[in-house]
Parts: sequence; structure tokens; C-alpha cells
Amino acid sequence: MEEQPGLSDQYRTASPWPLLVAVGFALSEVGVFLGIFPVAVGGILLLGGSVAGILAESGYARRPWRTLALLGGVFAGLGAALVATQLPGSSVGLLEVVADPNGVVGRGLAVAVAGAMLVAAGATSQMFGRSQQV
Amino acid sequence: MVSAQLVLTALMGVFLVGVVAFLSRVEDWRSYTPLVSGGGGGYGDTGATVHREKPAGITRWLTTVDHKDIGLLYGTYGIIAFAVGGLMAFLIRMQLIAPEGAVVGNSFYNAVLTSHGITMLFLFGTPIIAAFSNYFIPLLIGADDMAFPRINAIAFWLLPPGALLIWAGFFLPGMEGAQTAWTMYTPLSAEQANAGVDLMLLGLHLTGVSATMGAINFIATIFTERDDDVTWANLDIFSWTILTQSALILFAFPLLGSAIVMLLLDRNLATTFYAVGEGGGPILWQHLFWFFGHPEVYILVLPPMGLVSYILPKFSGRKLFGFKFIVYSTLAIGVLSFGVWAHHMFTTGIDPRLRASFMAVSLAIAIPSAVKTFNWITTMWNGRLRLTTPMLFCIGFVSNFILGGVTGVFLASVPVDKVLHDTYYVVGHFHYIVMGAIGFAVFAGLYYWFPIVTGRMYQRRLGKWHFWLSMLGTNITFFAMLFLGYLGMPRRYATYDFNSAIAPLDMVTLAHQAASVGAVLLLIGQLIFVWNIVQSWLEAPAVEDPDPWDLKETNQHGREFQWHERRIATALADGGEEEEAVTDGGKVVDGANETSDAASDSADD
Repeated sequence: MEEQPGLSDQYRTASPWPLLVAVGFALSEVGVFLGIFPVAVGGILLLGGSVAGILAESGYARRPWRTLALLGGVFAGLGAALVATQLPGSSVGLLEVVADPNGVVGRGLAVAVAGAMLVAAGATSQMFGRSQQV
Repeated sequence: MVSAQLVLTALMGVFLVGVVAFLSRVEDWRSYTPLVSGGGGGYGDTGATVHREKPAGITRWLTTVDHKDIGLLYGTYGIIAFAVGGLMAFLIRMQLIAPEGAVVGNSFYNAVLTSHGITMLFLFGTPIIAAFSNYFIPLLIGADDMAFPRINAIAFWLLPPGALLIWAGFFLPGMEGAQTAWTMYTPLSAEQANAGVDLMLLGLHLTGVSATMGAINFIATIFTERDDDVTWANLDIFSWTILTQSALILFAFPLLGSAIVMLLLDRNLATTFYAVGEGGGPILWQHLFWFFGHPEVYILVLPPMGLVSYILPKFSGRKLFGFKFIVYSTLAIGVLSFGVWAHHMFTTGIDPRLRASFMAVSLAIAIPSAVKTFNWITTMWNGRLRLTTPMLFCIGFVSNFILGGVTGVFLASVPVDKVLHDTYYVVGHFHYIVMGAIGFAVFAGLYYWFPIVTGRMYQRRLGKWHFWLSMLGTNITFFAMLFLGYLGMPRRYATYDFNSAIAPLDMVTLAHQAASVGAVLLLIGQLIFVWNIVQSWLEAPAVEDPDPWDLKETNQHGREFQWHERRIATALADGGEEEEAVTDGGKVVDGANETSDAASDSADD
């Protein structure tokens, strides 16, 4: 087969990830900006998962799980930072703020929750999952 | 409210499970071998097989990262958007047949007007150019594919969600289409309480991200992926314009994205970037928008200029006159385009000294534009012209570009602009460019490369009909608009039932009706176009001539047609899928030294 013309440039001409990255990006943007919690969380899960997938596929990462957890950490940090901007001064008002979230807190929580789920998924798979053959 | 959240959560859950199911179904996507369904069978280890074939059916198109497939996806998307935007334009023209508005209510008219502009510029213009560049830049520079094939696919797949969001206001319950006009001026766009505006802004943001990713990819590809014998000195003119366009996108689109995010924050989270009397005020939006918006004009027009510069010489039997100066003028336009944005704001009360400087730079941009125009004319001068359909569209381009360009020179002048600003004169001016020039160049490209993309030839007579109806329709519609501008008709109005004491109502009505007649011609022409493309693609006999335009006679057989020739030859060698080729079998195959050339062909099987 290798002798046939046209096979000197072996690269894959199909990948399931780009579509998912794009849809994940669109859903997270809509969810976060319009403050729709389930869409934001779902979108970020999809985005994080597919970015980890595409990086592993193209060889930038050996396995996707560590990347997944890392991305989750970044999202969790961003979300937490958003929530933190709304905390009142020195008082310990986290619970009150979270119990009755305003626009910013709601969005921050969505990002943080999705980030935490990504971390959990990444960590679990890293420990128990079979390694992906890349 | 809570139940709605639960339903949404459940839906998202189901969707994500669906994604996982999709992934597991294409789990073996790595092992698409010439054998059925990628099992690897007798070849042993699946991971070691050659990944040559693409998946079948719809999965192929959902997962492709091949530049030619992505080019086709961009093209299909662009044509669909062109149809949607064109029907919106037709509705606008039908509405304006009568002074009091003939068809729809004012709000719906405003929404359609807004959506027409955004659809044509962001969903048709940029993507259809990307269709050409994706398919042909790698072929023209001798690259196997784009530098980042997956990013290329991501950039395309951001567009369909973008389009759905932009149009969402029309079909989602409890919303209506945004009524901001495509310029989205604040405070109107900041205060319009309609979630459709938010969705449209998010959709625009997605298309901006997509364009930026594409631009980075093209810059990387043209810089690093050129074949050894493609140097900066002999790089083709289309690649030069795409390179310049990509640079413009790189500087302009992220700015649009930021400005849109600020507008979204103003709308949803009570920031005051554009609030009246606060922060930057409404004028800040105009500065940011037009700092993007004017380069956007050149983002849209430079590659079509490249197409014309590339195609026109082929049917003139001569080389492009003044190639170097066309490249220089492309670069000059690219640089100057960032220094003219405030000519859209001459009547906003900005400092007169600023106005003067922006007028000077705007007038200066006429120089490189004229350099191109004269070079096209000189290329044709004493040439052996062949009036094929692509050539007709190229000549139509030059003619319409002159009209659109000269009216632009008038508008660049502050005193003239103060009279004509916000009238139909402006609408006529830029439609001569976007439809008369950009649209025509796109048609020229589609017809010229139709044999390569489809392996068939379009129906020549229908192509001629398409050209002449488009040429007539364009000039009737948009010349009537220039005339309406001189009559003082303001743009964007849903009705024009003015007091006849202050306006020559009869003449305004007549001009509007003339413009609508032109729109009918345009519609008929485009219906013929779509019929021609679809029917020819499906039913026309295969073109086996690797040089359907007889370019070898004048030594103008370009790299993409050379690639096409090799592809036909390789198909013969393989006994491949093109049935006609196999039964014919009469052509000589020089497979020995074609191995590397035919490489990119494998992606096409």
C-alpha cells in the first residue's frame, strides 16, 4: 500500500473533535453570558473535554486526563474569582451570596461547578482509566 | 422557572450523553483504511494501518479536517447564507415599492434590514472567501494541507452556531429579530430590551473568533507550507491578497470581539462602557466599531480583487500587467485601511482637524485602488479576450468597482459627505462594491474553478444569462439608490410617506420602484445560478480535459490546474473511482515522477 502514489503525506483527514470544540465554545458562551446555568455547565464540560481530546489526539498531550483536570482547575479558578468579586468586605458572606446569587455570582458558580466536574473527571480517569493509545 | 431549569438540565445531560455516544460510535475513526470499517483485518495491528480513507456518509463531513472538504463546507454555508440574505434583500425591496410600505410592519422591516446586512457581511462574505482560500491556497502554494487542519475545522464549525444565534430572534419564542442595523450603534443597541439582540451579538462574536482562527491559519500556511519552488517573488496574486486580508483580520476582528463583549456587559451586567454621560459614551462604540468596520471592507474586497487579478489575465491571453504594483497596492490598501475609520463619523461632531486628516487618508486610498483598476484595464488592452462567464464577471467587477469606487471618493470628502451622509447614496455606493464587485468576483471564481471542484462543466448559456441579469439588476437597483440619495432619501427607513412639500415624493417612489425592478432581475439571475450549479454538478458529463480553459496555449496553466491534471492521471493509474476514466484508458500516465505530487490527491478519494 505504501508504494501507491499519494500516500507520502500521512496525516489523518478526519477528527471528531473540532466540531465538539466549536459547539462547546458556542454553548459555554451562550450559557455564561445569558446566565443559563445548565447550558453554561454543559457547554464548559463539552469544551474542556473536547479540548483535552483534541490535544491528546494531535500529540500535544500523551493522555487527555491531566489536561482535562488542568483545564478544570483553570475554569474553577476563574469561576471562583468571579464569585469572589461579589463577596462583601471582610464578613464571611459566602453562603449568603451563594444562596441568593446575583447575575455575576450565578455565572461564576456555573463556571466553577463545571471546572470542579472537569477536575473530578480528569482525576478519576487518571487514576482508574485505561491509557489511551495515541 | 425551576422546572424550566430542570428541563434544560435534563436536555443538556441527554445532549452530553449523545456526544459520548457519537464519540464511541466513531471510536475507530483512527483506523479508516481501504478495508471496510477500519477493522484492520489481515493487516494485524489496527494502529499501524495507514489512515487513508475518510469515514462514509454524514460522518465524513462532520469530522473532516481536509482543506478541500472544509472549503466545500464553507462554500455550501456561504451559498445558503447568500440565499437567506438575498431573500431578505428582496423582501426589503418589495416593502419599499409603496411609500407607506407594501408588505411588512415597521419593526419586522427593521429586523430584516439588520439581519440582511449582518448575514451578507459575516455569514456570506467572509465565509465564501474562506471557501476559495481553503480549497485553493494549499493547491496554489504546493502545500499538502493547511498548517493547522484541526483549527481549520474548528473555525468552520463555529459558523453554523453563529448563524443560528444571529437568526435566533426570528424563530425563538418570546423574541424578535434585533433592530439595531448592522452597525449596532449605541445607545440604541444597548437599550433595546430584546434577548434577540444578545443572541445576535453572541453569534457575531462566534463568527469573529472563527475568522481570526482562519486568519492565523492562513498566515502560518502561506509563510511555512509553501513548496520549495514557490517563493515570495512568484507567489500568486490570490495568495498575496489572502495573506494581506488575514493580517487585517488579525488586527480588526479581535477588536470587534472586545467591543461586542463590552456591549453585552453593558446590556446584561450593568457596566457603563457606552452609557450616555458615562465612560466612553455612545461615540466610543462608533470609534471601536469603525476601527474594525472599515478594515472589514478591505477584508471583504481584497481577496475578490485577488480573484479578478488572477482570473482576468487567463482570458486576456496576457500576463497580469504590473504584477508587482498590484501586490504593492494590496499592501498599501491594507495599511491605509486602518487610518480611515472616522470618515464614517464626519457628522458626529468630531474635531474638524481630525475630520480633515481622515479625509486626506480616505482620499489617498483611492490611489492604490486606481493602480489596480488601471492594471486590470491595461491587462485586457490589446489582449486576446475570450468572453467566458468568469471573464464576463471579471469585467463586470471592474465596471462596478469603478462606479462604487468613484462614489466613494465623493463620500470621502467632508463637505459632500455632510450632505449625503445617511442617505441612499451611501447605500448605493457600498452595494456597488459588495454586490457589484465582491459578489461578481465570487461568481467569477465559482465558474472558473467549477471544473476542478466538481469535475464537470457548468452550462455556459445559463452562465451568460446569470451574468447579464446580475449586471443589469445590479446597475438598475444600485444606480437608482445613488439617485435616491441625491433626492435626499434617508437610508434604513421602512416607509417614506413624506409630506410632498418637503420631498419630491413622486420621483422618490419611482426610483424606489426602479430599484425593486432591478431586485427582481437579480433574483431571477440568482435562481438561474443555483439551478445551473446544482444541475451541472449532479448531471453534467465529467470533464476529462485537464485544461478546460485552454490555458496551456498561453502558458497560463496554473498550479491548481496542474494539480487537477495530476489528479486525473492518478485516477487513471489507480483504476480509481472515476468510471469514465477507467473505461477510456487512453491517456498516458506518468506516475513515476508524480508520486509526491499526487500526494494531496489521496485526501480526495
